[in-house]
Amino acid sequence: MSAAQKITNPLFDKRLITAYVDAVLKTVKTMASTDVTAEKPFIENNFTQKGEIAGSLGLIAPPLRGNLLISFEKASIFSIMENMLGEKYTELNKEVQDAVGELTNMIYGSSKTTLNQLGYNFEMAIPTVITGSFLLSHAATATTLIIPFKLANSSIFYIQITIQS
Amino acid sequence: MFPQNTKFLVVDDFATMRKIVKKVLAELGYTNIEEADDGKTAWPMIEAALQKGEPYGLVISDWNMPGMTGINLLKQCKTIPQLQAMPFILVTAESEQKHIIEAAKAGVSDYVVKPFNSATLKQKLERVYAKHFPQAKAA
Repeated sequence: MSAAQKITNPLFDKRLITAYVDAVLKTVKTMASTDVTAEKPFIENNFTQKGEIAGSLGLIAPPLRGNLLISFEKASIFSIMENMLGEKYTELNKEVQDAVGELTNMIYGSSKTTLNQLGYNFEMAIPTVITGSFLLSHAATATTLIIPFKLANSSIFYIQITIQS
Repeated sequence: MFPQNTKFLVVDDFATMRKIVKKVLAELGYTNIEEADDGKTAWPMIEAALQKGEPYGLVISDWNMPGMTGINLLKQCKTIPQLQAMPFILVTAESEQKHIIEAAKAGVSDYVVKPFNSATLKQKLERVYAKHFPQAKAA
């Protein structure tokens, strides 16, 4: 029996949290020379929007289905992008949306490698980016694991993982 | 290392990643850089460049893209005899063994795992050049 099959709810699998935290720290440090601090993860019983822009992708690891959202406050994504591309950003334009998509892609890819080695079977996915006010209809009443990350300027971004039962 | 007049094709569905790769190439002094947002857009560019007698000296492509993936673009290139020796780097967030094996079997020159920094990409470029042009390295 694989490790994934033994898990009843992956949101309570410490290895999943570690894989995402490591993927975030590595991606932001390598691509943007930026140090971030992982804050204490917590669970919300209903999905609530965090941040003003988010990269979203479907988490498919049969029989598990869920959603990964990486939600950024404006100040956090502007700071990461400035360090990554050497340019200042002040509005949530197309370039910022694109960068959020690529960061989501890298963080997911990095965590997927770790988790699949542990027995999960996450598939490749292409992220979409959402801005403004949004609601994940399929996740509205789902339990959500949230991991906040803080930058040196105190701005925050979040990983939000929902698993559909 | 690749000569300064080398013609590059950077393929990625995310403009941010194209910008990052182009930035590294520009830092290395390269200016002849074209870009495409997926394999489907890149393929006619590769064909046209070949017909014009000015083939790309190196293709740097993402793997996971809508339209046509990077691995399929690589496989497509390998079906044309004149493109079989064209250096081709896959840049991807996929670092699982099965993907690396698939890319190696398809004849990729090298494989860059995202996230990466400019030093890593530069190192891969040097390695790919040495692999494709061993005489130049010895010279």
